[in-house]
Amino acid sequence: MVELVKEFASGIYNLILGMFTTTKHLGRHAITIQYPKERWEIPERSRGMVVLLTDLETGKLNCTGCLLCMKACPSAAISIEVVKDENKKRHVKSFDLNYNICCFCGLCEESCNFAAIKLATKFEFPAWDKKDFQWDIAKLQEMGLDVPYEKPVKKKKAVKKPVVKKPAEDKPAEAKPEDKAEVKTEVKTEDKPAEAPKAEEKPAEEAKPEVTAEDKPAEPKPDEKPADESADKDKKEGEG
Amino acid sequence: MANKLHLETMQINMGPHHPSTHGVCRLILTIDGENIVECVPDIGFLHRSIEKICENRTYAQCIPMMDRFEYVTSMMCNWGFALATEKLTDLVVPERAEYLRVIMGELNRIASHLLCIGVTGLDLGALTPFLYTFREREDILDLFEMTCGQRLTYNYIRIGGVSRDIPPEFFPKCKEFLDKFGEKCDDYEKVLTENPIWIARNRNVGVITEQMVYDYAVSGPSARASGVNFDIRKHDPYSIYDRFDFKVPVFYGGDCYDRYRARMAEMRQSASIVRQALDQMPEGDVRCKVSPKFKPKVGEVYSRVENSRGEMGFHIISDGTVKPFRVRARGGSYNHLLVTPEIVRGLKIADLVAIFASLDIIMPEIDR
Repeated sequence: MVELVKEFASGIYNLILGMFTTTKHLGRHAITIQYPKERWEIPERSRGMVVLLTDLETGKLNCTGCLLCMKACPSAAISIEVVKDENKKRHVKSFDLNYNICCFCGLCEESCNFAAIKLATKFEFPAWDKKDFQWDIAKLQEMGLDVPYEKPVKKKKAVKKPVVKKPAEDKPAEAKPEDKAEVKTEVKTEDKPAEAPKAEEKPAEEAKPEVTAEDKPAEPKPDEKPADESADKDKKEGEG
Repeated sequence: MANKLHLETMQINMGPHHPSTHGVCRLILTIDGENIVECVPDIGFLHRSIEKICENRTYAQCIPMMDRFEYVTSMMCNWGFALATEKLTDLVVPERAEYLRVIMGELNRIASHLLCIGVTGLDLGALTPFLYTFREREDILDLFEMTCGQRLTYNYIRIGGVSRDIPPEFFPKCKEFLDKFGEKCDDYEKVLTENPIWIARNRNVGVITEQMVYDYAVSGPSARASGVNFDIRKHDPYSIYDRFDFKVPVFYGGDCYDRYRARMAEMRQSASIVRQALDQMPEGDVRCKVSPKFKPKVGEVYSRVENSRGEMGFHIISDGTVKPFRVRARGGSYNHLLVTPEIVRGLKIADLVAIFASLDIIMPEIDR
């Protein structure tokens, strides 16, 4: 009986305590923002609309057509066509971005050495049709005109080294020079456990070539290798 | 009595679009009146084949996929994948980056627990704690947005460090949040912990015994609420967790109430870890130079992190190319969903909602 009374008393007390906590908020103002009229501050780093940046002095795009952003994109939302003129100078013919599959990860911005592509803080671009989310170069440039950005000189320094490393690694198709010695020893011992699941996952294996086959047409294949070389040239010119 | 009247059991679907199934989960319930005779979870509605997608991406491109693997604690997913890849390549991460990872990870743990506690309240009919916890979660998401630019899919922790340093205004804002957070925790406790209705709905409901923890590999706060003192941060420390002074809260009831209390205590510990990390953080680089198309050496690796809902592990098999040969992810929620039919047997449907919420099951982690 005593316990029951105690339980009852503590129950009542704690209900009142909870009520008191909620009552504290009774007198304060509402914190709701009336969205289209009032807006909240969006941080500078916020990743929204992908835009192409223009050099305001010359009025030309910063993009040099090195295709690095296209290769960095995990969902293959970017497709670029590059043409070369007689002097082997590269011109961006088309730059298409498919917002339907863009995942706003920001890897394109990170890979760019020329401050050409950026994820701006704008986030409102609704459309009625799916087709309206495939933006071409003119639209991307237009949307990027009022986006502030850092000068490309600063950016180049920050990302210089990893990019220069890359072509050297790609061509010999070997592991990193630091890891070389260890790789050779480990190949023999660890190859077998790596192969064992291979046999088990046959359906998965069969599906693999299909997916890669789908992926490849998105990237213009003949352009790829010369593009890489000339991209290096661009960089060297930029550095010099 | 039931046999005499020839009463039949009935099969009903709970979900896939039930608000309290936290995602898209279908539970096939066999009920006798209001009592659950059997519960069979049906999963796969959210399957996006993230593991398979990762096989066609470079290691750097896998990180945005990991954001989608388990979107409530994306930082941990990024971290787990980055940790596994770094183990594979023997990369040494800069000191400052490690501290930033700890700060972001712990803040994300707090945000996840806030979501869990708030939503548990919501499922049981208490709207107030939901609004309170989401107010604090909002502050944490603001901190994340300020740092990495997104509120849910952060893509912040990368292979070899973090994507960028924190902005200068992060420090004062984070400290301000931590200072008031203890008070706010007290507020939640005032509203929930001793509330007689809350106790009636949660105490002795859905008891996971210690043996069940071992049988079903239950991990995280749910295991620690059942008296199993196991925290990967403490007992198999990764990153720099051995430098911080924190306790692992353990409770022995194993019911929904103790799971709630374990989460509550863990949040306070996480806040103290963040505070220590902010004080100790050194200056320096936040990212070591890693090529976007780097090739790890041949081999396989399993590495795990303590996620907010259990052990999260990544098993990566590398064949020495730019793309992983196989990525296998393990989340805690799958084991928690498996243990659910065991503990709901004989309880009411309303209790199932409480159990499901208190186990903090997130469906995308299960379906991947």
